Amino acid sequence: MPGTETPLTAEVFDQLRQAMAADRAGFTELYREYLADAWHTLEVLKEAAPNRFEEIRQKAHYLKSSSLVLGAGTVARLAGTLEDKARTSVSTDRNALDRIEDALREVQAELAKRLGNGVIPADKSAA
Amino acid sequence: MATTTIRVVIADDHPVVRVGLRNMLQADPSIRVVGEARDGVEALDLARSLRPDVLLLDLAMPNVAGMEALREMTAGNLDTRTIVLTGLIEKRQVLEALQLGARGVVLKDAAVEHLSACIRAVMQGQYWLEGRPVQNLVQVLRDLTAQTAPAPRKTFGLTARELEVVALITEGCTNKDIAKTFGISEETVKRHLTNIFNKLGVGNRLELALFALNHNLLPVGEGQ
Repeated sequence: MPGTETPLTAEVFDQLRQAMAADRAGFTELYREYLADAWHTLEVLKEAAPNRFEEIRQKAHYLKSSSLVLGAGTVARLAGTLEDKARTSVSTDRNALDRIEDALREVQAELAKRLGNGVIPADKSAA
Repeated sequence: MATTTIRVVIADDHPVVRVGLRNMLQADPSIRVVGEARDGVEALDLARSLRPDVLLLDLAMPNVAGMEALREMTAGNLDTRTIVLTGLIEKRQVLEALQLGARGVVLKDAAVEHLSACIRAVMQGQYWLEGRPVQNLVQVLRDLTAQTAPAPRKTFGLTARELEVVALITEGCTNKDIAKTFGISEETVKRHLTNIFNKLGVGNRLELALFALNHNLLPVGEGQ
């Protein structure tokens, strides 16, 4: 993996796009589903914060998992940190969730750039 | 020359992950995804009913967790070769997975890059770790075992008998109890305690117990 972290790892995005070259609509839909699911998971995390540790651990793992596969490296790393903290019963602070939200916005903006604003909205409100 | 298609089952609780992996693998004409499981129970059911060549198994799944599913796969004597898919894995988990019969470990953020190659390598009888086929599994296992062995217990200069006294102190034993346990006089126990306090720089039994817990001074299995 590259040393510099970007919201969306170009290699993963490009290789996945290449792998799905025959199904461009499916490729876009995959990222749309990822975003919708990630925003929803973030809302669930906010409700579970600060102390519903098992729920936070599970949801953070869930978010980390899809983010890793689709190349959303920063979101994956932050979700992984949240998961680790919840595993050791360390309360989730609001800043950690805000950082995930910021990272997710960056992923969305990057996807809008790459896939087109009409396909992926540039901000969360239209996701 | 006719090539055989490798039949794969994907087991991951996240639908986006399953779709992403399936699409990645579809780009490889030698691989066909024949089933998808949402948890460990489904993974085992599909492995038994579909008899895939390869099972891609997430470690953190609901119901039956990945490691437990792996254990049952091995116990069930299935021919399916299992590749562990994970976000992050510690060396002791890699060792455990290999001991339970896994043939490869692929990190999720490297799935696009490595998954097809890993599946093909595993089907050729190789093992796959850290993004490449393993040439010498025995050496890898030896290294992992060495790296995951617990660090030797630091004893801070305490003698074997003094360590035994510390263990009994943390259990709440009195000097009289300790004397009786070892068949020594209470005066001797006191002398041991004085030496222990001096060596560890603690001032009383409570401090000693806390020091022992914090510095892993107790034999394995105690103070848990």
